[in-house]
Amino acid sequence: MTGESVQVTLPFSCLASGAREVTALYRELREPLLRYLVCLGLSKDEAQDVVQDAFLSLHRHLTAGGAQNNIRGWLFRVAHNQARNRQGSYHRRFAEPLDPHFAPMVDESTPERMVLEKEKLHRLEKAIAALTDSERECLLLRATGLRYREIGEALGMATSTVGDTVERAIRKISEKLDV
Amino acid sequence: MCKYSTKLIAWLDRELEQEQMADMEQHLRECGECRVNIAKYEGASQLFHDYCNAVMTAETGRDRRRWIPLLSAAAAILVLVATTAVVLRNRVQPLSPSPAAIVQPAQSPLVPEPATPPANAMRLRRARAKPVRSQAGNWLPLPPQPAVEVAIPADSMFPPGAVPEGVSFIADVNFASDGSARQMRLRPRLTAIERSAPQP
Repeated sequence: MTGESVQVTLPFSCLASGAREVTALYRELREPLLRYLVCLGLSKDEAQDVVQDAFLSLHRHLTAGGAQNNIRGWLFRVAHNQARNRQGSYHRRFAEPLDPHFAPMVDESTPERMVLEKEKLHRLEKAIAALTDSERECLLLRATGLRYREIGEALGMATSTVGDTVERAIRKISEKLDV
Repeated sequence: MCKYSTKLIAWLDRELEQEQMADMEQHLRECGECRVNIAKYEGASQLFHDYCNAVMTAETGRDRRRWIPLLSAAAAILVLVATTAVVLRNRVQPLSPSPAAIVQPAQSPLVPEPATPPANAMRLRRARAKPVRSQAGNWLPLPPQPAVEVAIPADSMFPPGAVPEGVSFIADVNFASDGSARQMRLRPRLTAIERSAPQP
């Protein structure tokens, strides 16, 4: 299951210029990391704190001569673990009703269409809340563009397990929404 | 159930080996059931993406909404302070309809009073002394002038006949920083002379 997955090995061999690579990586991954953390339930401020800490850890990791392969997965793992430490925030997203958040998704072309869309959103909300933590996390990381191998690194799972988990989660959503 | 059904999402995510990808594409040309399922999974994936976008939009909106009450409160406080300052200023100034007639320098007690104020009225004025600049350009401390002067008719303080007619007093009051009166000095003045003095 590693067909076209890209081996992300960054040119960190010259650690004297490591800060420049960290900066480039920050530009590339800051938004996906924020998106993942906010979807996990952190506030934007909390998510920004976690992202800063994760990049500081990355800098220390590289300076100490840590492994450089799968650095995206490594970074998401650090951020994920820090988010997990904030348990209160972590489960907030799925404890409060999501309905008002979906206004941009509702097709308001006709009243009937609007009702149908809202109904579908309610079911989507329920379907996502009913997923297990690992299913939800796999889908969130997949939605940020990570490969299965990177998701495995972030969540500490085997790549094949990630494939199975993603498939199970998508099937569940598809069945509940009847799409 | 089709034996390929467990690989459909991996194929969608381009996570299969190259040979498996080609095999799956060949299969999809022939299997209608898998094509239907592929469409379902694509729809579910798209909905999940939309969900993530909605959550981000909501969080950004929440961020903005959190600032609105803070900014409103700051604006309200600013308006309140400005209004209070204006009101206080207007409450002090009308008490001195003719500053030249009421406030006198501490060193010259007998100065004509051109106006004719009510006999028993006590009048206040806050004296504003300007700092003085020395030749070297340094600002010198303010001279020890009274901050407030109060005009008190003599018959309101002494028994009738104790004070000759036409004499009243000026009270120089110095206030401490906490607003309490620190020192008061009475200075006599001749009201009759002041009233008959020519207007400046």
